[in-house]
Amino acid sequence: MEVLDKLLNVALLVATLRTTAPILLVALGGSFTTKAGIFNIGLEGQMLVGAFFAVLGSIWSGSALIGVACGIAAALVFALAFAVLVVSFRANEVVVGLALNILAGGMTISLMKAIFGTRGSIVGQKIVGLPKVQIPGARDLLGSWAPLISGYTPMVYVAFIAVPLLVLFYKRTRLGLYIRVVGEKPEAAEALGISITRVRYTASLLCGLLAGLAGAHLSLGYITMFTENMSSGRGFMAVAILIFSAGDPLKVLAGCLLFGFADAFSLRLQTFGFPSYLILAVPYLVALVALFALSYRSRPRIIRETLESMKKMLSVETKPAETGSNHPR
Amino acid sequence: MSDRLRAFYGQIIALAIALALGALIIVLIDESPINVFMTLVRGAFGDQSKIAGTLLQTTPILICGIAACIGLRGGMFNVGIEGQLFLGGFAAAWVGFALPLPAGLHVVVGMVAAVLAGAAWVAIPAYFRARYNTNEVVSTILSNYVAVLLTSYFTIFLFKRPGGWSETPPILPTAYLPELFSFSRLNWGLVIGLALALFVAWFFRQTAKGYSISMVGSAPKFAEYGGIDVKRQGFLVLLASGAVGGLAGGVETLGVHHRFMEGFAPGFGFDGLIAALLANGSPIVTIFTALFFGALRNGSLLLETDTSASREIITVIQALIILSVSAQVLMKRRGDSTAGERRWKF
Repeated sequence: MEVLDKLLNVALLVATLRTTAPILLVALGGSFTTKAGIFNIGLEGQMLVGAFFAVLGSIWSGSALIGVACGIAAALVFALAFAVLVVSFRANEVVVGLALNILAGGMTISLMKAIFGTRGSIVGQKIVGLPKVQIPGARDLLGSWAPLISGYTPMVYVAFIAVPLLVLFYKRTRLGLYIRVVGEKPEAAEALGISITRVRYTASLLCGLLAGLAGAHLSLGYITMFTENMSSGRGFMAVAILIFSAGDPLKVLAGCLLFGFADAFSLRLQTFGFPSYLILAVPYLVALVALFALSYRSRPRIIRETLESMKKMLSVETKPAETGSNHPR
Repeated sequence: MSDRLRAFYGQIIALAIALALGALIIVLIDESPINVFMTLVRGAFGDQSKIAGTLLQTTPILICGIAACIGLRGGMFNVGIEGQLFLGGFAAAWVGFALPLPAGLHVVVGMVAAVLAGAAWVAIPAYFRARYNTNEVVSTILSNYVAVLLTSYFTIFLFKRPGGWSETPPILPTAYLPELFSFSRLNWGLVIGLALALFVAWFFRQTAKGYSISMVGSAPKFAEYGGIDVKRQGFLVLLASGAVGGLAGGVETLGVHHRFMEGFAPGFGFDGLIAALLANGSPIVTIFTALFFGALRNGSLLLETDTSASREIITVIQALIILSVSAQVLMKRRGDSTAGERRWKF
């Protein structure tokens, strides 16, 4: 019981929300491109340049806000390059995305060496991090639960507020509708006179905006430093989430919370002396398991329908056969 | 023919654009592009041992490139070669230090272990890709991270060399892949790679099975109507690709390092994928693109010491090349305006 108490408490929830934020931001960014019908594996690279240039901007200007702006600008440049190649030049989106990720990795390391003369990481150097937001009255209202809503860096709030905003955006705005049409039925969009090119460019740039924010959160949020490849696969996890959520903001939120929890929980486990290498693999394993487990829904419709009709037939005689649902023969 | 010629000129122009952009970036980091270029050439081909070094770097890139070619031909993006390489490398090393076997047999068993480990590592993503159409790009990328962490765990917690750093005990000399020359660690791995490239090229060009794989890769609907079991074949293609990826790891540990070390082969899997993409999925052309990337990699070692540029500048150049080549600069028709099926081909 004591062990459980130590593992599950308010601090864990707070840590979950904190670790959810960057992956939520980048996944929400990817939601734009996913909805617009683009498979964007380049999120990882956009996040990485965002993180690097946020640190650079913060050092040069002495202001965290300008740092964030620099991070966003860099991610936007990458998003624009992605859109130019994929939309205008009709290059393969997987090839372009992977190449941009490799470019981001090589470029940040090269620039780090050129500017700071170091390899590995930028620490100290007067990096100005983002301030923590204290919500007035939170402590009086919630007592010891106050850290749940107060004391995060601004990006955490941005990430969670963006979820309902995106729901409204897709449901209520013209651009949101256009993005969905272009993604689901490009022929229909063309017949309606919607410019597919313009919509996909817009979606890609909106994606870059959020990916840049996510990167800035990584390097200026709770730790103020940049290390090579510091996005460490979060962009790819976001893509995994996007695949099984189909870019739907609420499902994206659910998926990201799962990862945030896995991340926070595994960090907690580390204090119990489990080998750190195995613990570090937990978020990736969660991503893989979720991807595989949920992909059964997207299997060809014929198989699903046969299975459902079989289930119905079976349920007349016995209880619904739950066990076979993940591995139909 | 004029289409092919146009495509060829397109590639040349793309290469020129990439090199120009690369030069621009080198200027931006306060270096002279000519100096960097000359250093790269000197580092890659300066003398006998430099050339051998280049070939040594080419070997894993070539084998990984062949692994990628197999996948690409069959319409599968195996981005997990890096992970298969790590698993294969570890499996071969384990056979090398834990199983005393007679010379000759030992190497073969090690290689087989590497191949099996690579195939096993890709089996789950391959199964879900074949069965449920689960995106193999994402699942193989994510499994890379797991593979690297898992082999690190094996190396540091289970099989650490007593008193050593993050590496396993050295393999027994019976498991060494023989070296080709006395002045370099260059070994039979290169020969294996070249033979494999020729074999795979022959396989795709001359056999019915190879033809049906190419057919699934280029026109899956057509292949399915033609009576090919597309799912089963997709599964086997990824498995074969993973097996070759594992082999690359085995060649590295048995041929070069003679032990498994944490981070022993940084980025070879990705370099191989890029080489295969640049070669448009042709194993024969991959020999040359792999040589090109091997030269870049070996040249970059000198870059680190002789200039102020970082050796990662070559990954920037590689990425720029792929990006500009992928843009099909000179292609007249880039497909219809609605999103059709974009395949891996440039």
